Parts: sequence; C-alpha cells; structure tokens
Amino acid sequence: MDEPRDPQLLKGVLPMLVLALLSERESYGYELVTRLHDSGLDDIAAGTVYPVLNRLERDGLISSRLVASTAGPARKYYLPTTTGTDQLWATARSWRQLSVTVEHVLERTPKEN
Amino acid sequence: MLRDTFRREAYLLRFSWAVQDFPQYVRLKRELRNELDATAAEVGMRQAIADLGHPRVLADGYLAELDRSMPRWNTGGWWAALTLGALVALGMAFGVGALTTLEQLGGGTTTATFLGATTTFTWTDDAISAGATLTWQFAVFLVLALLVPYLVGARFWRLWSTSRSLQRA
Repeated sequence: MDEPRDPQLLKGVLPMLVLALLSERESYGYELVTRLHDSGLDDIAAGTVYPVLNRLERDGLISSRLVASTAGPARKYYLPTTTGTDQLWATARSWRQLSVTVEHVLERTPKEN
Repeated sequence: MLRDTFRREAYLLRFSWAVQDFPQYVRLKRELRNELDATAAEVGMRQAIADLGHPRVLADGYLAELDRSMPRWNTGGWWAALTLGALVALGMAFGVGALTTLEQLGGGTTTATFLGATTTFTWTDDAISAGATLTWQFAVFLVLALLVPYLVGARFWRLWSTSRSLQRA
C-alpha cells in the first residue's frame, strides 16, 4: 500500500509539476487537475492547484487565454511563458540534484524490517 | 439550475469573505465563478464545488501564495460599522432615557452633554424634541471611535509586514 503523501513535500514541487504538464500541452484548470490525477497524484484537489496557477500567472511564468467551449462557458487555457520554461528547466535541474543527494543519504540508513 | 446557482454563490460568498486580504479579490472571485461554471459543465456543480474543498482552505491557499500578509480592509469596515451602530444605539438609549425622565418630571427643557455632544431635550404638551450641537470634541471623538476599530479590524500594521520570502531567508 502507498504511504500517505506529505502535503508539504507536494507543495514544494507542485509549481514545477504544473509547469511541466503545461509544457507538454496547454490545459484549463480542471483538465490540469485531471492530468495530475492521471500522473499519479490522485489525491490532489482542484483547490490546491488553482492558487498555484494564479501565482504562476501573476509571476509571469504562465500565460492564459480564453477558449470558447461547446459545453459550458469559455475556458481559461494556460501555457508556460519563455520565462516559465526557463524556470522549469532550472527547477528540474535543482530537483534532480536534490533527488540524487537524498537518495544517497537514504541508501545509508538502515533498511526497514 | 437555480439550486446550482445558489450553491455556487453561497460558496463564493464564503470564499470572498475569507480571501478579502488578496489584492483584487473581486477579480479572483469572478475567475473562480467562471472556473466553477466551466467545471460544472463537465462534472456537475456539486462535484465542482466539492473538488475545490472548503472555501476557507481554498482562500488560505491563495493567501499563502502572496509574498506577505495584507490588511483586511473589509473587516475593518465591518468593525467601524458595528461601532457606529453601537454608538447610535447608545445615543438613542440616552435620548429616550432623558426624554422619559423629563416626562416623569412633568415636562420642560434640559441640556445634557453626552460623548462630547451638547443636546437639548424638550418635552412639552405641544412638542417632544431633541437637538444636538456638534462640537469639535464630538467630531474628534467620532473620528477616533470609528478610525481605531477600522484600523485594528483591518490589521493595518500588515502594511509594514516584511515579505514571507525575506522572513524565511
């Protein structure tokens, strides 16, 4: 059985994951939540993702445009800006370095019985 | 349809109260309404609202993304309004009390100073009246009585709060 996820751990990497998914394909808010679920973050709520989208847009890391929908009102689609893409690469590099370090440290700890 | 609108607006009302510190929170509320409508077209309004979680928690999520805490001007306004209401009630109670006393004394005219305002009460067979003269003391009292709760309720000191990123550094 999977361990319950630490919300603080997720909070730190969520902006990076949002940027990564939006780099693959532009999405609207709820679609992005669904894609995060499909990626394995099935416990993440829309209410956690929307503030991150708002922050990323305010910081100029993503841009948005309204797209008319056949079902319901127009949807706001998000896409990383050039700055956002640069930020993603930089964060991803940092994450990989940190991940390697963490893995090395954890390998030295006694194994669980 | 009407029930969905009611659900949505009830949620947004609670959200907007909790998120009032956020700059341009009215715009944020409008965007969230659009997002709810768009999501409801896919999964229904009940599910769309449930996915957002508790409005207070959602508001905290937005506020946590700010660099620093902001004053709550709306709350300050409510505090000032409540204080004004209390003062009006107090003034009316004082006025009714003074007129009732005059009546029991057989009528007449009396002048009393209350909270810096000099008021003349008259109770005769022809007329019942109360007229106040606005003094600068009363004006100062009123301004302070409203300004202090407004500023305290708004947590005005947050204007000088340092950014969270600086605090963490």
